[in-house]
Amino acid sequence: MKQFAYYPGCSLESLSVSYDQSALESAKALDIELKEIIDWNCCGATSYFHADELLAYTLVARNLAIAEMDGLDFVAPCSGCYKNAYFTNQYLKEDPDLADHINYALEADNLHLEGKLSVKHLIEVFIDDVGLESIKEKVNHPLKDLRVAAYYGCQLVRPRKDGENVEDPQFFEDLISAIGAENVNYGNKMRCCGGSLIMTNRAAALDMVYQLLLDADKNQTDVIATICPLCNVNLEAYQSQVNQEYKSKFKIPVMYFTQLLGLALGIEPDRLGIGKELVSARILKQFE
Amino acid sequence: MEATLTFSKEIANLLYAEHGNPIRDCIQCGTCSGSCPAVEYMDHSPRQLIAMIGADMKEEVMESNTYWSCASCYQCNVRCPAGIDIAGMMYGLKRYSMWRERYKEGLVGPQFNESFMKMIMRTGRSFEPVLAPTYVFKLGAKDMFDEAMMATSLFFKGRMSLIPKRIKRIEDFRKMVKRIIPFGGDA
Amino acid sequence: MTEKVGVYICHCGTNIAKTVDVVDVATWAGEQPNVEIAREYKFMCSSLGQDLIEEDIKEKGLTRVVVASCSPHMHEKTFRTACERGGLNPFFFEMANIREHDSWTTDDKEAATQKAKALTFAAVERVIHHQPLEPIPVDINSNTLVVGGGIAGISAALELADAGYHVYLVEREPSIGGHMAQLDKTFPTLDCSACILTPKMVDVGQHPNITLLTYSEVEAVEGYLGTYTVTVRKKARYVDEEHCTGCGICIEKCPFKVIDNVFEAGLGERKVIYRPFPQSVPKYPVIDTENCVYFQRGKCKACQLFCPTEPNSIDFEQEDQIIQMEVGNIILATGYDLFDVGKIPQYGYGKLANVFTSLEFERMVNASGPTDGKIVMRDMETPPKSVAIVHCVGSRDENYHKYCSKVCCMYSLKFAHLVHERIPEAEVYNCYIDMRTPGKGYEEFYDRLLEEGTHFIRGKVAEITDVARIPQEEGKLVVQVADTLIGKQRRIPVDMVILSPAMEAKPDSREVSQLFKMGCDFDGFFVERHPKLDPVATMTEGIYVVGACQGPKDVPESVAQGAAAAARVASLISRGTVMMEPVRASINQEECSGCRICNNMCPYNAIIFHEDRQVSEVITALCQGCGTCVAACPSGIITGAHFTNDQLFSQIEGILWDVRTESELVPGD
Repeated sequence: MKQFAYYPGCSLESLSVSYDQSALESAKALDIELKEIIDWNCCGATSYFHADELLAYTLVARNLAIAEMDGLDFVAPCSGCYKNAYFTNQYLKEDPDLADHINYALEADNLHLEGKLSVKHLIEVFIDDVGLESIKEKVNHPLKDLRVAAYYGCQLVRPRKDGENVEDPQFFEDLISAIGAENVNYGNKMRCCGGSLIMTNRAAALDMVYQLLLDADKNQTDVIATICPLCNVNLEAYQSQVNQEYKSKFKIPVMYFTQLLGLALGIEPDRLGIGKELVSARILKQFE
Repeated sequence: MEATLTFSKEIANLLYAEHGNPIRDCIQCGTCSGSCPAVEYMDHSPRQLIAMIGADMKEEVMESNTYWSCASCYQCNVRCPAGIDIAGMMYGLKRYSMWRERYKEGLVGPQFNESFMKMIMRTGRSFEPVLAPTYVFKLGAKDMFDEAMMATSLFFKGRMSLIPKRIKRIEDFRKMVKRIIPFGGDA
Repeated sequence: MTEKVGVYICHCGTNIAKTVDVVDVATWAGEQPNVEIAREYKFMCSSLGQDLIEEDIKEKGLTRVVVASCSPHMHEKTFRTACERGGLNPFFFEMANIREHDSWTTDDKEAATQKAKALTFAAVERVIHHQPLEPIPVDINSNTLVVGGGIAGISAALELADAGYHVYLVEREPSIGGHMAQLDKTFPTLDCSACILTPKMVDVGQHPNITLLTYSEVEAVEGYLGTYTVTVRKKARYVDEEHCTGCGICIEKCPFKVIDNVFEAGLGERKVIYRPFPQSVPKYPVIDTENCVYFQRGKCKACQLFCPTEPNSIDFEQEDQIIQMEVGNIILATGYDLFDVGKIPQYGYGKLANVFTSLEFERMVNASGPTDGKIVMRDMETPPKSVAIVHCVGSRDENYHKYCSKVCCMYSLKFAHLVHERIPEAEVYNCYIDMRTPGKGYEEFYDRLLEEGTHFIRGKVAEITDVARIPQEEGKLVVQVADTLIGKQRRIPVDMVILSPAMEAKPDSREVSQLFKMGCDFDGFFVERHPKLDPVATMTEGIYVVGACQGPKDVPESVAQGAAAAARVASLISRGTVMMEPVRASINQEECSGCRICNNMCPYNAIIFHEDRQVSEVITALCQGCGTCVAACPSGIITGAHFTNDQLFSQIEGILWDVRTESELVPGD
């Protein structure tokens, strides 16, 4: 059983509780144990970077430091938390001055961060640590003929970390293929959903959500698969508002990739949080 | 201390860990504005804002809604041919704006951030219902109604909790924060 | 021994004199042992300054000269020549740099003057130990090798051949002509490229002084300026050049076609036995053995069957030929490649059918190209009603190439013109960051395009997509770009997009540069000796670089560089013998123990080992005087001329004049 230090993040506690459920369930089915980090705090999302950079890094570093105590690699299911953790970890390693500042603050909570562990997004655990071949073998309810639009969003792939392809990656589509579903070829898969603009600049965010839904719809999408709770909420919970604003009639269910993965592995839908959607996912009933 | 610094130098200094080339390197090619998904909702495009900073047009820059409309999607960053951390600059402008308490009237962002920070200081975790008042009242009546409806639906689907969670070591957490900035008062 | 040293302290206007008390230094220098005369003067490098040296040598019988002024890079040659004119061996001269190393480094007058004294005295102490070195004569073989048969190589070869000297022109492809042969029209005159190029190609093919080796590559280079021995592999064409008349029947009768990815940029096809293009020089076809049915499976042989010559010109047994040649100079003209636009996924090349590269478009508009010059979309039929041309694809970009590729603005304008000409109703959009039109007639060309109604959008294209937002965008390619002059993000629906990619160094440029023992820069382009004053020579004597292999450039510049290198080579050949700087290493073979440590240390492969006598020897002409072997020799029996131990230690002693109490010259050899 491979273990990881699991950082659910604030959204997974309530708004996106189905992501949490399905993540733990599908991980378990693939021999991965996601051990929740003890007493984790909010990563600060984007808001803390709007206030003070050093403080923002510190908030993130506290969680990394707690994870480091167990010596397990850090895994976040939310792209925002993941991006914050990855770069805090990297900058800390590169900049001893920053490390000093942060560790001075962490001392107040009896913590210290070396920067020894790696930071991964949940989807990387499935693709790299479990492997697509293993997943294919364990799939017993392939999502045959289900047209899935793999939605990457922003902060999973950007900013650039290595020399990887940030404009047209294929790893999410590969995972969708591995669970037997059909990939939708649509151009906006890397485009932003608006993120926190849904609260701070409603008009802009609704426009961005509209563009995504429009593109997915035009390409006959059955389900949009997400890898971030905020993307999911924006695309799904606000779908009706988009319909009102743009006089559209979208009714596209938006599921977390772990929910689709779990279904393909034969896990019961209510254990995957299926049924908690605002936009009905009845199309998935056939795979139960 | 910073009395003689020009506005452009002030902004350049705000990026603590410099993860890109300086803003001065901008050749005004427009790739950022061409890539930005929110540009239609900004009164100046990211490129224009960079030019304005370079020209030390402090008033106009601070009064702009551009940097408050940045979603930090980083599309500009990965494409910028001059290697400038544009999203980082937007963050820097927000920080400057909050610090100086100078921003366009009617924007949701500043109050939202303040609430968010105070919320974290209180409990260590985020709790949506606390944030809602910062933006709902700026929506029209119909939108407020829709928002309320959505919130209710979420509640009945078990996706909205009414009680905020609090981390156990909240006292030490607050001490930790105070070692970075002496956070004003108790939240 | 006593010498009579003349010391000259230069003011260099105020450059030195403002900080260093030159009068004090001169007076002090005059009091030192061995110094016959010490002067200070405003500008030593002036004619009058040089005259001072000459006269003093003659009148005062000076045996050594020291000038304390600027960097030797500036005027060492000037003063050495002045010494020579005065009748003194030029190597009895030493220069002290009291400008770049002293007056320009500090405002502290006292410290600067002290240092000037130290530097001057060091030079005096050193020069006393100088030897009267004589330059080394090297014979220049009158043959020249030109590597690469594009316009630059052709230009260099023709200039030399017309001057009466023999040239070997080696070209990797089956025909000369390079990229220029692929172009349709050339800017700004819109001359037909083939029309101006082919006469030159024919000249090369027919010139009595040019030995043309096509479908050939250089495999090894030995030797040095004046005597290079080059090994060339002439690849088998499987066509006998003795008997082939170039009638082309074999090509006609060959039953198999493949996509031509080289000349036709993947847009057209060619036969398996082929000539790259109709005007190929030489006319002999070549068999593509990878796709040839005979070579792969032993069948067909149609070409041989139909070949009308007696004896048959198709020779399936033909083998590669190894040719060795002796040349005096080598001119590299290996050209460029285009940046792979697939590396920028957001521009859609490869995914979106109607996105083309510049080379694909060149072939398309070419009258003898795959579409007979018609501008059509990927279906090879429909003409586009709107075309967007994207500048700066992979250029001026930290993520790909930082440099500007120089020629793309001009050929992008050329493309715009060609679209206007052939599809008059089409809308043409050029998306650029800056319009770079600096050459003769270039700005006027830009003006012409404005008059033709081209839409110029100042903005670097962010993405090219087929995701439509409004009905007008359906079925089109949408170019999303910030129009920075208007200040808005625009989405422009077009039928066809042409990308103008960066000009890159060829992928094997580093290997090639090592073969010829010269260097590449960070971007892979060959390095010239001096970017301003010597753009065709390299740091390696006898090797020159011309054309796009040195950096992005257009045809007139390539031609000029080719001619410039030819002139340089011609001057060397006409002199017959060249004098090389005697600052070289030499091994005392009597005392050499044969340990061979120096052999592998030499970065210029200039040391050989004599197996019979078990001693090493420095090939003087190849030696660049770097001093590595001198330092490495454990027995200390390698002497670096003009940098002997005596000279160096004396110099060090001189520098320390005010801190040492007595001579601490290390007993040496």
